[in-house]
Amino acid sequence: METFLQYTILGLVAGGVYGIAASGLVVTYTTSGIFNFAHGAVAMLSAFTYWQLRFGWDWPAPLALVVVLGVLAPLLGALLYGVVMRGLRGTSEVARIVVPVSVMLGFLALSTWVWDPTPRSPRLFLMFFGAGNTVSIGGVNLAWHEITAVVIAVVVALGLRFLFFGTRTGVAMRAVVDDPDLLELNAGRPERLAMASWALGAFLAALAGVLITPMMGSAMSAHALTLLVIDAFAAAMFGRLRSVPRTFVGALVLGLLGSYVIGYFPSDRWTWTGNFRVSLPMITLFVVLLFLPQDRLRGATVLRSRERYRLPSVRTAVVAAVVLVAGMWLLRGILAPTAVNHMAFGMSMAVIALSLVLLTGYAGEINLAVLSFGAIGAIIVHHFGVSGSGGDARSTLFGYAAAAVVCALVGALVALPSLRLRGLYLALSTMAFGVFVSNMLLRDITERQLPLLHTRFSIFPSGNLGVPRPKFGPVDLVAMPTFLMFLTVLFAVLGVGLIALRHSSYGRRLTAMKDSPAASATLGQSLVTLKLSVFMLSAAIAGVGGALMTAQIGSANLDRFDIFLSLTLLMLTVVGGIGYVSGALFGGIAAGVLFVALQNTFDKLGVDHPDLEGFFEFLANLTLVLPALMGVSIGRNPTGAVEKILVDFGPVRRVRPVLVAGIATVGVAYVLARNETISNWWLIVVTAVVIGVMPQAAKRWAPGPSEAAVDGTALPAADGADLPLELVGVVRPYTVADREMLDAALDVPAGKG
Amino acid sequence: MAHLEARGISVRFGGKAALNDTTVLVERGAVTGLIGPNGAGKTTLFNVVCGLQAPNAGRVLLDGDDVTRKAPHRRARHGLARTFQRLELFTSLTVRDNVRVGGDIHKSWTRGRRDTAAEAERVLELTGLASIADREVAEIPTGQARVVELARALMTRPTALLLDEPAAGQTDEETAAFGRLLRRLAGDGLAICLVEHDMTLVMDVCETIHVLDYGRTIAVGPPEQVRDDPAVIEAYLGTPEGV
Repeated sequence: METFLQYTILGLVAGGVYGIAASGLVVTYTTSGIFNFAHGAVAMLSAFTYWQLRFGWDWPAPLALVVVLGVLAPLLGALLYGVVMRGLRGTSEVARIVVPVSVMLGFLALSTWVWDPTPRSPRLFLMFFGAGNTVSIGGVNLAWHEITAVVIAVVVALGLRFLFFGTRTGVAMRAVVDDPDLLELNAGRPERLAMASWALGAFLAALAGVLITPMMGSAMSAHALTLLVIDAFAAAMFGRLRSVPRTFVGALVLGLLGSYVIGYFPSDRWTWTGNFRVSLPMITLFVVLLFLPQDRLRGATVLRSRERYRLPSVRTAVVAAVVLVAGMWLLRGILAPTAVNHMAFGMSMAVIALSLVLLTGYAGEINLAVLSFGAIGAIIVHHFGVSGSGGDARSTLFGYAAAAVVCALVGALVALPSLRLRGLYLALSTMAFGVFVSNMLLRDITERQLPLLHTRFSIFPSGNLGVPRPKFGPVDLVAMPTFLMFLTVLFAVLGVGLIALRHSSYGRRLTAMKDSPAASATLGQSLVTLKLSVFMLSAAIAGVGGALMTAQIGSANLDRFDIFLSLTLLMLTVVGGIGYVSGALFGGIAAGVLFVALQNTFDKLGVDHPDLEGFFEFLANLTLVLPALMGVSIGRNPTGAVEKILVDFGPVRRVRPVLVAGIATVGVAYVLARNETISNWWLIVVTAVVIGVMPQAAKRWAPGPSEAAVDGTALPAADGADLPLELVGVVRPYTVADREMLDAALDVPAGKG
Repeated sequence: MAHLEARGISVRFGGKAALNDTTVLVERGAVTGLIGPNGAGKTTLFNVVCGLQAPNAGRVLLDGDDVTRKAPHRRARHGLARTFQRLELFTSLTVRDNVRVGGDIHKSWTRGRRDTAAEAERVLELTGLASIADREVAEIPTGQARVVELARALMTRPTALLLDEPAAGQTDEETAAFGRLLRRLAGDGLAICLVEHDMTLVMDVCETIHVLDYGRTIAVGPPEQVRDDPAVIEAYLGTPEGV
């Protein structure tokens, strides 16, 4: 009984801190409707800043606290809202999820830039009032720090309750999310309120970060602190991301469960006890999701849809696929072996990214842990799809088929609880699943005796999963150049398949569901069935892609399937254009090759030119932050980079001489590179210049009338003869003639107004 | 028994009653009008009938079956279709594909062999949309967009059709053509319920009119009778003392 009391007290302490973190999430979500994935990252940045001031520079604790909690954190929150999140109102759910995720990745990159993740001596963050300064309560030695944390949690809970129900500001805050326009009519200021709530949310995140960091025991870890957001949202889910009191209840439940697991699960016999405790919030989340009531079906929530994906015809897709394969074949001829390696890795990532195009681009649903499905695929192939041993070991077609099937089934399990809810909940479930896979499955490295089966087994043997390259029938893909071509062909075939799918009845139904769930349902579409099928299909592609990625490397440790890599891949695919197969190519290559190559190059340049080392180090660090900056820009250009390139290249296709000259220039450079007359770098430079110059040149030499004619077909009725009046000024410029016509129609004397 | 019946429906949002024991019956082969001032509860009633809004009390019967607790897609498969006052078109698709996807969805659960493409062309022709079939729905004027919603609904081969202000944004000629189309559809045996503010259209096509005000039915009857009903005039123009 006494031990029970002790674990209860420890659980309450942990729950209190979860509660502070989770309530901040609730505050920002209720007032802005945006789920702040960067909440944990704000806590992390605040904790590191506090550490820098207090322990790095030896500031007195109260001063450091005032600066971090009172000034920097609220400022950061307000800035986040003002600069980034405010622009997301009325955009698609994808943008409202991917942009905060990008902010989180950016903060993480920023922290590794400022605070070297592998310091010479570990960063120690000591408890307030000292760790040894304890009192005994109920037989437990509690540090004053922990008691303070509980007291602060109670104050925060009561304070927020009072704010929301007892003050004008709080009541208005609750009104913001329900109907900002209505609030504005009633003289409220939704923008200012939302900004204030983000400042408050960031303050609460910082408070939680500063309190929880010393309680985590070991040296500070940016990743662990950033993932605090998951524990927090598991708690917030108890209150449906809305209710502060229920969120605190959820936090206490989580804290207590965790404490009892430590207390009563035999850690010596059950090797997975520690992993289980870490995974507890995710498991709880799934259980809570099962009990959430169904959402009201919504219509098109996107008020100003800025995404416009042009759908290529299957024929165009086939041509593009052939061009891609041929291009890769030519490129392979001049690449150094290491570059072939990188490229193959990038292509395997592109295959995984295709699963995102299907799920997010076509169906509008989100998977934040695509690489975790990849991990499952790799595990299946490792255990059930390898024949031969040593140098002759090859993965088999059966293995990949099994990986696809198992991943589809796992995908169904992950998605089912949240399918009847809104897209955000599915996204959160996948994120929880991703962390669960990383914490439970990929850490199951010691072999143990399985009950009944009489075999020794571990899911992720010795922390390094070996998957040999495949051999399908007579086709042996062990040589890396061959494997690269295989991956490229696979990507091309899957890509054409996806575009064909989008043209099919199934594809139209997916698009319909994405555009308006309510209309789809009232036409007879079962949304759950459709979402489930597309999620399973997407998970299967991701699983096969993950197994191939592992085969490319040969063997992968758990870092390869990290949740942050999944998020980066999603973000870069969205930057490329999530509605396009070419967006997946962009995302895969960018995530797998581009930024790695850039960083390596800058590192090497830094070593080669010691006098400029600082400059190159800066550039190398910048390439870490760059993807996140691109991700944040999605809010402004949600259709993606590929679309922009296509638009820019529109004129080029019509000006033959420019097109031919461009291709010829690149061709000559390629031949020279192949002869090793010039280095590959020059080929890259020449290609980049040609791509940059071609649209300009095409504009310059475009025969005037033909361009107008082409534009005329693109925009119906450009002469305005039968153009509906409300579109005048939208699809073609507003002219004097229009005004005269309007004046006449409205009986206004000409020239006035 | 009417083909579509909403009996004793009550819906409360917080303390506010949007519908209060409202009953509406829709017969096959006729257009039933549902009118009333803004905020009378017409769209809420539609949402209850098609399953987007759960009622606090009351039952919805479709073809004799109680569908009150069924999901929206189940009701659609039972023969119910609707259009939306706030347009709910599939903005990534062309006019043609918006119509065709109605057939795609219908085909996916009937598992029948159908040429949805050809059927979509016929419906586009019938509704007069053939000339704009290749346009993006985001580009077409509201009046025509409402016809696209109707065409899409027809592709599911409904027996009961709910139309929420289909004539708003239409020109007079469009409305006249729309009225002819409605009568033709009713003549084919559809049960049509029409929410509309264009009184010319309502008086022209409806056999029976239900008048709602503040969530209550204040009058039911043929157009001539409803038009002269003092309660209806009061609801629309305000009380005599106020005037």
